[in-house]
Amino acid sequence: VQILEEVQDLPTAGNIKAQWVSLWTAPAVAAVLLLAFIAFPGFWPPMSPQLPAEQVATFYGENTAWIRFSMVTFNLCGILILPFFMVIVVQMKRMQTQSHVFAYCYLTAVVSGATVFALSNIFFLVAAFRPDRNPELVMVLNDLAWIVFIAPVGMVVSQFLLLAIAIYFDDGPNPVFSRWVGHYSLGTAIIMIPAAGAAVFQTGPLAWDGLISFWLRNGAFALFIVVIFFVLRGTLRRQAIEEGVVEESAQ
Amino acid sequence: VSVLTRSGPKADGPTSDGKPDVWFVYWIFPGFYAAFGVIICLLTRVTPPPRPDITTADKIAFFTEHRTTMQIGFGLLLILLGGAAVSNGIVVYHMKRMTVGSVFAYGYLGGMAVGALPGFLLVAACFLTATLRVDRNPEVVGMLYDLGMLSYNGSLGCFSAAYLALAIAILYDKNGIFPKWFAYVSIWQIVTEVIATQMFVFYSGPFAWNGSIAFWWSVVVFSIWLCALIALLKKATAREPADSPALD
Repeated sequence: VQILEEVQDLPTAGNIKAQWVSLWTAPAVAAVLLLAFIAFPGFWPPMSPQLPAEQVATFYGENTAWIRFSMVTFNLCGILILPFFMVIVVQMKRMQTQSHVFAYCYLTAVVSGATVFALSNIFFLVAAFRPDRNPELVMVLNDLAWIVFIAPVGMVVSQFLLLAIAIYFDDGPNPVFSRWVGHYSLGTAIIMIPAAGAAVFQTGPLAWDGLISFWLRNGAFALFIVVIFFVLRGTLRRQAIEEGVVEESAQ
Repeated sequence: VSVLTRSGPKADGPTSDGKPDVWFVYWIFPGFYAAFGVIICLLTRVTPPPRPDITTADKIAFFTEHRTTMQIGFGLLLILLGGAAVSNGIVVYHMKRMTVGSVFAYGYLGGMAVGALPGFLLVAACFLTATLRVDRNPEVVGMLYDLGMLSYNGSLGCFSAAYLALAIAILYDKNGIFPKWFAYVSIWQIVTEVIATQMFVFYSGPFAWNGSIAFWWSVVVFSIWLCALIALLKKATAREPADSPALD
C-alpha cells in the first residue's frame, strides 16, 4: 500500500500504517515459529503419553540441543504473534452496528491465551535443563508441558467464537468482514474444542499425540492465521481506500 | 405468571433497553459462573477445598477417589475457560462507559486477563497431570496437590489489582454506571486477598487455605460481590440507550 503524500501526517494514515506493519509481522513470526515447530524432535512424531519415565528422560538427554533451540524460539517469538491479533481487535472496533463489547472480550481472551502459551515452553525447557535428574521429575515436567501446550483451548476457542459472533452482529450495509469469515472462525473454534481431551486420554485421537488433539488442533490454528492474514490484508486495503489514505488504483 | 407477561409484550413498565450484543455477552456471565460453580464444587472437589494438612498417601487417595469427576470437570473448564474472558470483557465495557475514561477499564482488563493463568488454569493443569498418572512417584503427586491448591486459592495480586481499578473507577465515576457501595464491596475483596496471603504459611486453622478466615470469609465476600455484580451489570446493560454511539 502506497500512502498518498498529502495525507501522510494524518492520524488516519498513521492508523493504517500501524495496522499494516502489525499485519506483516505475522508472516515473519509465523515462519520463525514454524521453523521452531519443525525443529522440535518431540513433534516428529509427537511424543506418546505412554512413554515410561526412563524413555522420557532419555529423550531429553539425547535431544537437549534441539529442544532448547525450538523451545527458546517459542519462548522468545511466540508472543510476537499478538500484534496480528491486535489488528483483529482494531477491526472489530470498526464494526458499526454494535457496541464493541465483543472487541474487549476478544482482547481479554487473547491476553489470557497468550499467558498459557508462554507457560508451556518453560516446562519443556526446565525438563531439558537437567535431563539427568530423577526420571520421575523429568516426566512430570514433560506431562505439564504437553498438557499446558495442547489442552487449555478455552481462550483460543472463545477468541474464535467472539470473532464469529461479532461478524454475525456486524449486519449493517458495510460489514468489516465477509460473513464466511464468521463461519470459518466458528468452524475453527469447534475443531479445536476436543483437544481439551489431551489432559485426560493417553491413547487414541484425543491423546496429546493424537490426530485430533495434535494435528487437527495445531493445523486449524495455523491455517486460521494464514487465511485471516489474507482476509485482513483485503480489509485494510478497503479501509485505506474508504478513508482516502490510498488511491483506488493502488489495489 | 411469566407466560402472562410474555403474552402482552411491552404492555406496561419500561421497555427493555440496552444493546443486543451487550445483552448477548451479559447472559454468558451468569452462565459461565453457574458452570464454574458446578465444576469446582461438584466435579473437581477444589471448593470446598481439601485439607492442606494431610499425608501424601491421603492426597493420592483424594486424586484416586475423584479421578473421573476431576477429569470431566477440569476437562470442561479447559474448554469453558474463555467464559472468564467474556465475563471480564463486559465489566471492562461498562467501566469504559464511566466518566473516568478507559484507564481503569484497561487496568481491570490487564489484571483479570493475567489472573486466569494462576487463578484457574494452573490448578487444572496440576490436577489433570496428577490424575493422568496417579501411580507416579507419591512425592510428585503430593507436590502437584500443593501447587494446584496454592495457585488456585493463593493467586491474589492479579485480582486485587483488578478490584482496585474497579473500586476507584466507581468512586470517581459520575455516570452512575455502578452504585458507590459496590466500590466498597470490591475493596473488601482486596482485604480478603490480603488476609489470604497467610495460607502460604499455615497448614491448619483459620488462616490455612481451607480456614474459616482465609477461605470461608473470602467465599462469603466473593459470593456477595459476584451476585451484586451480576445484578448491577444487568441494570447497567438495561439502562444503556440502544442508540448510543459505540465506544472509542
